[in-house]
Amino acid sequence: MKFIFLTKKVLALQLLLWFSVTIAIAQSGSDLRINEILVENDSNFVDDFGQRNAWIEIFNSAYNKVNIAGMYLTNDPSNPTKYQIPKGDPVTVIPPRNYLVFYADKHPTRGILHLNFDLKDSKYLALYDVNGSSLIDEIRIPEIGADTSYGRALDGSNEWIILDKTTPKANNFTGVASSPGEEFLVYDPFGFGMALIAMMVVFSSLVFLYLIFKNTKRLYTINFKQLHRISMKQNSSEELPDLTGEVNAAIAMALYFYRNELHDHEAAVLTIKKVARTYSPWSSKIYGLRTYHK
Amino acid sequence: MEHSGNYLDFVVRHLEQFLGYTSFSNFTWGHLIMICVGLFFIYLAIAKEYEPLLLVPIGFGIIVGNIPFKPGFQIGIYETGSVFNYLYFGVLQGIYPPLIFLGIGAMTDFSALISNPKLMLVGAAAQLGIFGAYAIALLLGFSPAEAGSIGIIGGADGPTAIFLSSKLAPDLLGAIAISAYSYMALVPVIQPPVMKLLTSNKERRIRMKPPRAVSKTEKIMFPIIGLLLTAFIVPSALSLLGMLFFGNLLKESTVTKRLADTAKGPLIDIVTILIGLTVGASTQATTFLTMKSVGIFALGAVSFVIATFGGVMFVKFLNLFLKEGNKMNPLIGNAGVSAVPDSARVSQVVGLQYDKTNHLLMHAMGPNVAGVIGSAVAAGILLGFLS
Repeated sequence: MKFIFLTKKVLALQLLLWFSVTIAIAQSGSDLRINEILVENDSNFVDDFGQRNAWIEIFNSAYNKVNIAGMYLTNDPSNPTKYQIPKGDPVTVIPPRNYLVFYADKHPTRGILHLNFDLKDSKYLALYDVNGSSLIDEIRIPEIGADTSYGRALDGSNEWIILDKTTPKANNFTGVASSPGEEFLVYDPFGFGMALIAMMVVFSSLVFLYLIFKNTKRLYTINFKQLHRISMKQNSSEELPDLTGEVNAAIAMALYFYRNELHDHEAAVLTIKKVARTYSPWSSKIYGLRTYHK
Repeated sequence: MEHSGNYLDFVVRHLEQFLGYTSFSNFTWGHLIMICVGLFFIYLAIAKEYEPLLLVPIGFGIIVGNIPFKPGFQIGIYETGSVFNYLYFGVLQGIYPPLIFLGIGAMTDFSALISNPKLMLVGAAAQLGIFGAYAIALLLGFSPAEAGSIGIIGGADGPTAIFLSSKLAPDLLGAIAISAYSYMALVPVIQPPVMKLLTSNKERRIRMKPPRAVSKTEKIMFPIIGLLLTAFIVPSALSLLGMLFFGNLLKESTVTKRLADTAKGPLIDIVTILIGLTVGASTQATTFLTMKSVGIFALGAVSFVIATFGGVMFVKFLNLFLKEGNKMNPLIGNAGVSAVPDSARVSQVVGLQYDKTNHLLMHAMGPNVAGVIGSAVAAGILLGFLS
């Protein structure tokens, strides 16, 4: 018994841990992605110091803010903690679905966005979590021409391509994106498809509910105790009567009247009893006199 | 002398400035029209008792929103920092509608639906109005997002209409909300002719089996299972469905009476005041009086007619498969639009016109509350597809 109790406790603790880990993951750096890099910068993006250097774009794929402070960027697989992004600077908080660009210029004294390594001969780039051992994202850097960036085809997607245009701090997809509404207008200009799909979904939701609640009545009319007794004693069981709401209402009303002693026809018994009242305040002299406070 | 001349100039200048601030100098005919609309709403609410809890705040809100003023003093509902702008935030961000759904859940008795689950399908069929209006709106040149927001008027559910249009077409929110609430108030006028047109004399006299008694456990299970099933299929409707079923669980569990009382009492009252007033005030003549608004009003009426058609015809269709004695009265089909409880009351009133002893109210409440769920699911689908 004690063992079962302990097992339950352990299970509850595990569940709690699982939930906390899930929540922690939901708000941690696991949503960050290395999104785009440019290795050879001849006439491309200029940093705050007017210099052209290699840059790395990090994308927050989550729908909440993520703070990248304390995490590590490295170009050396054997040294995951090569550059720790300093803590305490508001610039490290990346808004939802937004970007942060780091400059790989070997000039960490120029600010927290300037790394202590460059990408000149690098074939590897990785982002590690604050513990320095959990890998968040990594890429193998191919040969890329000058002023050309290598990035994900769509922000946060798995497909890496040489991008047509460099897009630091911006969406990697530079084509004309159509909204879902515009797509519907092209493929379903009269709304029949939408009506069909949507009505099917509405019906299926309510059909599921219908099927479940169609059978709940059966479930509730099963008398489990009685079934148990039958199996034990092989006795025949009595089925519960199926009472309608109206019958129940009539019974409830009858009980109510009974308990409150109300009748449709009052008992026709008259009791005449002489009440001897020898004193009445109306005839009392003291109520007819005005009294004065002394 | 020179000083007194300057002083006079100063007074005249400020007097002119003051006159420039008054509503008279900023007045347009559009403002007058909208004020008249507001007064008409108040008249309908007080004299005719058409949805007074909604039409009085909305009507007064229309008047408040159409008092002309010079912009720049943080007065108007669209001016950042004004009091009305803060209150309108709850509409724009879709905060008020789920709170209203919480109260609706705490008020609603799903017994009629649980005892006869077939009625859920009627609630689903009546959502045809939403997608019928969507298709017509597309034909009239509205964008799909706008068409979806307009279509949801056919769900006959004010909070759902506000919720969806705040996400898909915030510019049309005022017109859509006003249209939805107006037609909800006019349910007793719009629906009966359609119901009578689609049913025969014999069908209108069909007597339905009395609903069975529903156990407390079933009532408690309903919001939990209902949420799990519907929200798993359409998670985009979670804020509406979650609050609706949560409110219902507060009611049915019977151990949270205080919370249920608050949800269905003070909370829903406060939110209704805020939503009514701000939605009314959002109909400033300058943004409201457009051809689009006229189109929205026309489509709103069409969507109610299609929804009523869908509900009534679906009951007739179901009757083809039901045995004699189990058949449903098609007059409850109109209640599938979720104007609770007005459309159910219409079923009762029309039913009594043909058989004075045939009370359809309890039966009509089934599709009526199913319509609330159905319209929230439909809103979730539109949001998922078009946002």
